[in-house]
Amino acid sequence: MTNGDGAGGNGSPPLVVLDHISKRFPGVVANDEVDLDLRAGEVHALIGENGAGKSTLMRVLYGMYPSDGGRILVRGEEVKVGSPRDAIALGIGMVHQHFVLVDPFTVTENIILGEEGGPRLDMDAARRRVAELAESYAFRVDPRAVVEELSVGEEQRVEILKALYRGVEILILDEPTAVLTPNETKDLFGNLRKLREAGRTIVFISHKLDEVLEIADRITVLRRGRVVGETRPADTSKAKLAEMMVGRPVLFRLEKPTVEIGEPVLRVRGLTGEGKLNGIDLEVRAGEILGVAGVEGNGQRELAESLIGLRIPASGTIELEGTSIVGRNVFDIRNAGVGYIPEDRHDQGLVLNMTLWENTVLGRQDDEGFSGTFGVLFIKKIKELAARLIKLFDIRARSVDVTASTLSGGNQQKLILARELETDPRLLIAAQPTRGLDVGAIEFVWKQILDQKAAGRAVLLISAELDEIYALSDRVVTLYEGKITGEFPPDAPPEDIGVGMLGGSKEAVG
Amino acid sequence: MPFTDIAVALQISFTYFTIIYLTGLGGLFSERSGIVNIGLEGLMIIGTVTGAFGARFFTDTLELGLPWGPILGLLFGALCGAIFAGVHAVATISFRVDHIVSGVVINLVAIGLARFLSSAFFNGQSTQSDPGGPHLDRLDIPFLSSIPGGVDRAFESLSPMVLVAAFMVVPVWYALNRLRWGLRLRSCGENPEATRSLGVSVPLYRYQGVLLSGAFAGLSGAFLASEIIGNWREGQTLGLGFIALAALILSNWNPIRLMFFAWLFGFATAIPLRLNDAPVISALPPQFIRMIPYVVTIVAIAGFVGRVRPPAAAGRAYEGGGGV
Amino acid sequence: MATDGVAAPIAVRSRPAWVEGLVGQLLALLASLGIAVLAGSLLIVAYGENPLEVYSSILDASMGSADGIGYVLAIATPLIFAALAVAVCFKGGLFNIGVEGQYLVAMVTAAWAEIELGFLPGPILVVVVLLAAMLGGMIWAAVPGILKVRTGAHEVVTTIMMNQIAISLVAWAINFPLKFSNAPAGQNVDLRTDQFPEGGLVGDLGQYFGVTPGAHLSWLLFLAIAAAVIVWFMIRRTRLGFEARAVGASPGSAKAGGVSIGRTQLRLFLISGALAGLVGMQQILADRGHLPQNYVVFLGFTGIAVAFLGQNNAIGIIFAAILWGVLSRGEVALQIQSEVPREFIIILQGILILSVVITYQIAKRRLAARQLQRAGAAGELDDSAGPDDEAGPRGPEMKGREAFEAAEGSGT
Repeated sequence: MTNGDGAGGNGSPPLVVLDHISKRFPGVVANDEVDLDLRAGEVHALIGENGAGKSTLMRVLYGMYPSDGGRILVRGEEVKVGSPRDAIALGIGMVHQHFVLVDPFTVTENIILGEEGGPRLDMDAARRRVAELAESYAFRVDPRAVVEELSVGEEQRVEILKALYRGVEILILDEPTAVLTPNETKDLFGNLRKLREAGRTIVFISHKLDEVLEIADRITVLRRGRVVGETRPADTSKAKLAEMMVGRPVLFRLEKPTVEIGEPVLRVRGLTGEGKLNGIDLEVRAGEILGVAGVEGNGQRELAESLIGLRIPASGTIELEGTSIVGRNVFDIRNAGVGYIPEDRHDQGLVLNMTLWENTVLGRQDDEGFSGTFGVLFIKKIKELAARLIKLFDIRARSVDVTASTLSGGNQQKLILARELETDPRLLIAAQPTRGLDVGAIEFVWKQILDQKAAGRAVLLISAELDEIYALSDRVVTLYEGKITGEFPPDAPPEDIGVGMLGGSKEAVG
Repeated sequence: MPFTDIAVALQISFTYFTIIYLTGLGGLFSERSGIVNIGLEGLMIIGTVTGAFGARFFTDTLELGLPWGPILGLLFGALCGAIFAGVHAVATISFRVDHIVSGVVINLVAIGLARFLSSAFFNGQSTQSDPGGPHLDRLDIPFLSSIPGGVDRAFESLSPMVLVAAFMVVPVWYALNRLRWGLRLRSCGENPEATRSLGVSVPLYRYQGVLLSGAFAGLSGAFLASEIIGNWREGQTLGLGFIALAALILSNWNPIRLMFFAWLFGFATAIPLRLNDAPVISALPPQFIRMIPYVVTIVAIAGFVGRVRPPAAAGRAYEGGGGV
Repeated sequence: MATDGVAAPIAVRSRPAWVEGLVGQLLALLASLGIAVLAGSLLIVAYGENPLEVYSSILDASMGSADGIGYVLAIATPLIFAALAVAVCFKGGLFNIGVEGQYLVAMVTAAWAEIELGFLPGPILVVVVLLAAMLGGMIWAAVPGILKVRTGAHEVVTTIMMNQIAISLVAWAINFPLKFSNAPAGQNVDLRTDQFPEGGLVGDLGQYFGVTPGAHLSWLLFLAIAAAVIVWFMIRRTRLGFEARAVGASPGSAKAGGVSIGRTQLRLFLISGALAGLVGMQQILADRGHLPQNYVVFLGFTGIAVAFLGQNNAIGIIFAAILWGVLSRGEVALQIQSEVPREFIIILQGILILSVVITYQIAKRRLAARQLQRAGAAGELDDSAGPDDEAGPRGPEMKGREAFEAAEGSGT
C-alpha cells in the first residue's frame, strides 16, 4: 500500500511556503523561525507533542493570528493573511479539533454561513449545491439534518465540506481523529485519499504516530516551537518519530507494582440514565486499576459524574465498600472516601480565579483543621498544607498566593491530583487524567496513580488513550454507548479492544 | 359583571401588548445576536422622555401638525433609544463588560439622564412634563369593531401603533429567517466562535442587534408617554421593560410566541386598571390588585423557565459567564 | 522538563496576587474619576460656567464644613448598607436588584415593631426594631432566592417584580394596618404611620461633632461601618465567604468539590436581604421618626451604583458611599450658586458609574495578561502552556488566545 508521491511529488514547486515564521504569546514562544512547505496533491503530517506549536503555526497560516516574524508565500507570491477570510480567498481552509458548528442550524445553513450574496436566502438552491458537492467527494451527509443530531464523524464531514464549498485547495485538519472511532477514521482516510487524488493538499496535525505513518506522504516534526526534522514514512519509524518529538527515548511503560488484589471497593450494577448510560456493570477492587477504554462521547463523563454524585442516575446501584452511595450528594460521597480527577479541570476541578491555597482546600474547608467556629478559616494552616503539596508534587509556581490561572495545564492537573490524593481516597476516579499534558507530566501522573495501587487503593481509570490504558490497567473494560461491551486482560491486543470499543460486533471492523 | 368592562379591559390589554411586544422585540434582536439586554427598562425610559418631548416639538413647535408631528416624535424616541443603547453596545461588545452589569448600569443611568433631559426639555421640571400632549388619532379596527354584543368596544379607539406592533411580527420573522442578515445575526448568538471562523464580523452584527433593541424599546417608551398617557412622568414605565424581558424569555426568543406572552402580560397589567370589580379581584384591597401583573410574571417565570433554551451565547451570559 | 529540574522555592510571603489586584482597582477608579470629571467639565463649560469654580463649590459644600461632612456621612449611611447587600450576592454570582423592594418591606416590618412593641424600653426597642427590619428584608429576599434555587428563575426578573410588589405593599400598609391613628377626618393630612416612640429612635451623632441636627447624622453610621467590616471578614475569612466566591467564580468546580450551590446561594440572598433591610432605617428612625407616604426611594438602585464604584469590596464600598455622598451634597451648591442645573450631578454620577465599569474590565484583563507574562518569564509555563493545549473547550487554548487578545486590544 503506497503512500504515494502523488501528483505533487518531487517535480512541482511548493504551493505554500512558510519562511521563518515566529509567533509569541505573553510568556511563551509558540513558533520559533519555522520553515515549512506544502505541495499540491500530498498529505503532509505535522506532528509534535502538546505545546509544540503545531496548531499555532497553522492558525498563523489560516490568518487567525498575525505572525511576529517571517513570511508566507502562496503560489510563489508573498502574501499577508490577516484573517480567515483572507486565507479562504487564497484557497486555505482549516478544520479545528473542536468543531465550530452552530448546533441548532442545519448542515446547509452551517455550510453557507458567511457566504456573500443577495440579501435573500434561497435555501433550496443552497441545499442542492451542498448535495452536489458532497457527492463529488463521496461524503455522506444530509443537507437538511440539524447539526445537533449528528454523530461526531458526520460533524467532521460537515466541517470539511464547509472548507471545500469555499473552494479551498489546502485543507488543514487539526487532530482530526481524536474524536473518531476506528471505523470513522477509516472513512476519513478514504475521503482524504480521494481529495489527494483530486490534487488537494492536506495538512494533518496529529500526535497519533500510527495513523500518521499510514496516511502521510511527508512528516514534519515540531518540538517546542522549532522544526526538528522532516521525513517520509518509508524512512522512519514510530520510535524514531517519538524520539524526535520529545528529544529523548520515551518510556512507554512504567513498572507496574505487584499488589495483592483485595475486596471490591466499588460495585456498580445496572447504572442507567439520561440516554447516555444504558446499564453499566463494573467492579473495582482494592489494589486494582480498572481501565475503562472508549472513544469520548459514549458515556464516560456521565459515568464519572454519577459516581462522584454530580449526577443522579435514573436507576442502578453504586456501592462503595458495601454501602450504597447512589443519589447521595457530592459532599457525602467524598467524605466516604472517593477522590475525583475530572475530565475538564477548568469546569469541574479548579477555580481559576482563586489562589493555589484556596484551591487546595476546596472540598475540605469544613474539616476541623481548616476552619473553626463561625466558619473562620485557619488560613495559615491551609497555606502550609498548600506549600507542602506544591513542593511534594513539584508544581511550578512562585508562591501559594498566585492564582490557579497562571499555572500551566500540567501543573494545574498536578494541583488537582495533589489535592485529591491528600485525602487518601479509597477509590480514585480518574477521567482523562493526562489530557493536554506533555510527556513529563504524563509520566508523573501515571506514577501517582500506580502509587495509589501500590498502597492498596482502588482506581477507576477512564481514558480514550489506549497507551494510557495499557500502561496502567490491571483489567480493561470497553465502554460503548453507555454499556460495558467487553472485558480484557491488560495485555490484550489493540484490535480486540478496538472491537469492544465499537460495540463488540466483529463485522464492523472492515 | 358587565361585558363592556371586559371589553374595555381587552382594549387596554392591546395597548399594553403594544408596549410589551415592541420592547420585547427589541430584546429579541439583541439577545439573539448574543448580547443579553436587561436594560430594556432604561431604554424605554429614555424613549418616554424624548418621545414626549418629540411629540410636542414636532407637532407644535415645528408646526407639522398631525399626523407627522406625533410620528416624528415616536421616531425621535426610537432614535434616542438606539443612541443610548449604543452605550450598552460599546460596553459589552468592545469592552467585554459583563452583560448583566452593563444592563444594570443602563437602567441606573437612564433614571438620572431622564431627569436631566426632562429638566432641559420641559422648562426645569425634572420629574414630569405638562399633560395633554399631542397624539395620533385613534381608530377603530374595521371588521372587529362592528361585532355586536359589547365586544366591539375592545377594538375601538385604538392607537394605530397597536396595528403597527401586531403586524411587526411579519417583517421581523422574515428578517430573522429568510434574510442572509438574519442567519448571520442568529449565528452570532448561537456560536460566535463559528461565526468568526467564517469571516463574519460578530461585533458588527451584535452592534446592530443592540441598537435595534434600543430603537424598539425607545419606540415603545415614546408610545407609552406620548400616545397613551399624554405626558412624561418619572416612573411611568412601571417595570414594563422587565415584564417584556420575562415575556421574551418565556416565548423562547421567538417573535411569534412573544405576541402571546406580550398580550398575556398586557392583560394582567390591564386588570388593575379596569377589572377591579371582577368577582375574585374585588375582594382584594386596591393595592393588592396593583400587584397582579407582577405576581403573574413571577409565577410564569418560575413555572416555565426550565423549558426554555436561550441563544447559546446569551445563555452563558445569563449564567454569569460574562458573555462570549 | 518539569521533573528534571529543581523545584522553584516556595515563598509563602512573596508579593501576593491581591496586592496587584488592589493597585489595579485603585488605578481604574482614579482613571474613571478623571474621565467623569473631564466629561463633566465639558458640560459645565457648555453652560457657560467655570469648571474649577463649580467643582470647588461642590467640594466646599460637602467637605468645607462640619455640617457638610455631616450631611455627606448621613447620605452615605444607607448607601453603605445597600451596596453591601448587592456586593454580598455579587460575590456568589447573583444579582440582587431587589434591594429596593427589600428595604421597603423592612420599613413596614420595622414600623410594625415600633407601633406594636413600643412598650419595650429604649435601647431594647431599637434593637428589636432593627432586627424586625432585617427580618423583613430577609423574607423579601428569600422569595426570589428560593425561586432561583428551586426553579432556576433568573433573579434579575424576579427581584424587580418583587420591587414593584413591595411598592404596593407599603402603600397598603400605610393605608390600612399601620395607618395614622389620630388623623382628623376629612383634613388634608399626608398619609403616614403614627410617630414612633422616642425610645425607638436612633440618636443624633452629629451633635458631638458640631454638626447641625438637620443633617440627621446618626449612630447608624457606626453600624454601617461595622457591617462593612463584618462583611469583609465573612467574605475573605470564613467558610461561607469562601464557598460563595467559589460558586461565583466556578460553580462546576465548587459543586465537584462538594459545595452545595443552592444552599450557598440561598444563604447569600438571606444575608443580602438582612443588610438591605437596614437601608431604610436612616430615614424612619433617625430622620422622620415615622413611615411616611413619601418615603425616600431609589436607595436600592443607588446602592448598586455604589457597589460597582466600590468594586464590590466591603471596604471600598465605604469610600465609594462617601464619594457618592460628596457628589450628592454638591447638588445643594449648584442650586444656590450656579447656572448649571442640579441634574448635572446625576449626569456626573452616571458617567462615573459607566467609566468605572469599563475601566475595571480593562484593568482586569491587563492584570491577567501581566500575570501570565510573569508566570511565563519565571519558566512556569514551559510545559504545554501555549495555545496548543487541547485540554478542553475553554482550556489553555483559550487562555493563550485571550491573553493574546488582551495584549492586542479589544476583540475582533
